[in-house]
Amino acid sequence: MSKEKVMLTKEGNQVFWRWYFLGGCGWNYEKMQGLGYYFSMLPMIKRQTDPHVKKQLAKTELQFFNTNNTMAPIIMGVDCALQDSTGAQATDTIAALKTGMMGPLAGIGDTLFHVIPSTIIGSIASYMALEGSPLALILWVLFGLFRAFCMRSFFGMGYKEGAKIVSEIGNRLKKITQAANILGITVIGALIPSVVNARFAYEFTMGEVSISVQQLADQIMPSLAPTLVVFFAYWMLGRKKMNSTRVTLLLVAVGILAYNLKIFA
Amino acid sequence: MTIQWWQILMLTLYAGLAFYDGNNTTFGTVKPTMAGFVAGLVLGDIRTGLMVGGTLNLLVLGIGNFGGASIPDYMTGALLGTVFAITSGQGAEFGVTLAIPIGLLMIQLDILARFSNTFFQHRAEKLVDKGEFDAAARMNLFGLIPQSLSRMLPVFLAVVFGSAFVELVVNNLPMWLMNGLKTAGGILPSLGIAILLRYLPVSKNITYLILGFFLAAYLKVPVLGAALVGLGLAILSFQMSNEKQAVQQESTVMAGGDMGDE
Repeated sequence: MSKEKVMLTKEGNQVFWRWYFLGGCGWNYEKMQGLGYYFSMLPMIKRQTDPHVKKQLAKTELQFFNTNNTMAPIIMGVDCALQDSTGAQATDTIAALKTGMMGPLAGIGDTLFHVIPSTIIGSIASYMALEGSPLALILWVLFGLFRAFCMRSFFGMGYKEGAKIVSEIGNRLKKITQAANILGITVIGALIPSVVNARFAYEFTMGEVSISVQQLADQIMPSLAPTLVVFFAYWMLGRKKMNSTRVTLLLVAVGILAYNLKIFA
Repeated sequence: MTIQWWQILMLTLYAGLAFYDGNNTTFGTVKPTMAGFVAGLVLGDIRTGLMVGGTLNLLVLGIGNFGGASIPDYMTGALLGTVFAITSGQGAEFGVTLAIPIGLLMIQLDILARFSNTFFQHRAEKLVDKGEFDAAARMNLFGLIPQSLSRMLPVFLAVVFGSAFVELVVNNLPMWLMNGLKTAGGILPSLGIAILLRYLPVSKNITYLILGFFLAAYLKVPVLGAALVGLGLAILSFQMSNEKQAVQQESTVMAGGDMGDE
């Protein structure tokens, strides 16, 4: 990545901030982010003088569009650069480019900017919240700033480097994703004994000695019951006709049953 | 306790703001932990808010509305769950058990809001046809109305009218069910974990799952401590993959040089 500063046009800057603050407002089932994309590109569209070309461009930008919010500025940067260099004759190219780039960028962006930070920050924030401290919530705010910074750089990169940036950035982000997965999975491992709350309630009485199942379980492995519950949820999720909503309801039922059958305390 | 009008106002505004933030600027206000914290702050019992929010957050750790999938809305769930936990005096577990059906019901309203926005998309297309580009762009902003109302209205109505209903529930719920729901609240976080185990490439990284578990279960390391170990290993893996790539590039250059000599 060269350190050369990219000079964005006034319109380019407007496009970016319109997307950052308001790009997600018009989300709908038919064209998804299409309306937000059009809204963001309006300053570029209005620069066109030929009314026919202007309308053509506007229609192109209003088409179906759906990618990860954080990654979209790359595509917008490339779009702006194309309009600046080739003028408005580029509408076909723009349409092809938007549809071509949104898929791969969505996959990378959803993992890197949603799943992994939600897992890591969410775990830490929830865990500390259960301990009574709101401090970790600041991590979300810091992440929000970091994400804004990334989006801004993505826009600049797209504008400067054009379409070839997508494969390049894809490779770099893949490596970061692999590393971030390691962090996320370590945290998940630690979450199982920390936040899942299940203890065996059953007690044997043999003559005068009573042995609780929990004591036996602890000798096998600490947090045996939470681990079993996680395995159960994992197994249920993999079954046909099961989704997270149904598993939620199932777990509520299991909890009520397990308490009343004196399996779990 | 009875809820004041300014508290109702704050909670309603927060619901709208959080939904906007979740779709645009992403400063974490849409996360259940944050929503629970804010509701606790407004009602003067932060601890209960954090308990409700934290528990609900664990249910949806890595879930996102990718490609427009509607997911349980535990932001609204955490707000209302906290309010009912505090006003009824029944505690955080009770709040969580109320929040879960609320979060699940909110899916339907979310679908309705996204569906309403199709109307604005059609209007925008017609306006562009007529050459009214600015008016078409305004349609995007109108999309905010169904979206924020889908959160603000239920929160407002539930806070104003819900307390009487919750009292009725509290007074009529049998003990076996109340206690059973508490146990259910304890095991529910396993769902969020299970979803992530399905989503992330776990089999390739099973070592780290075992390591994290070992740190927390045997050594009683807090989650943040385990995260630091994970961070160290992540950096190590990143450095190693960079080195590997450098070596590979070097060897291809050398191979190319050899071929040139022949």
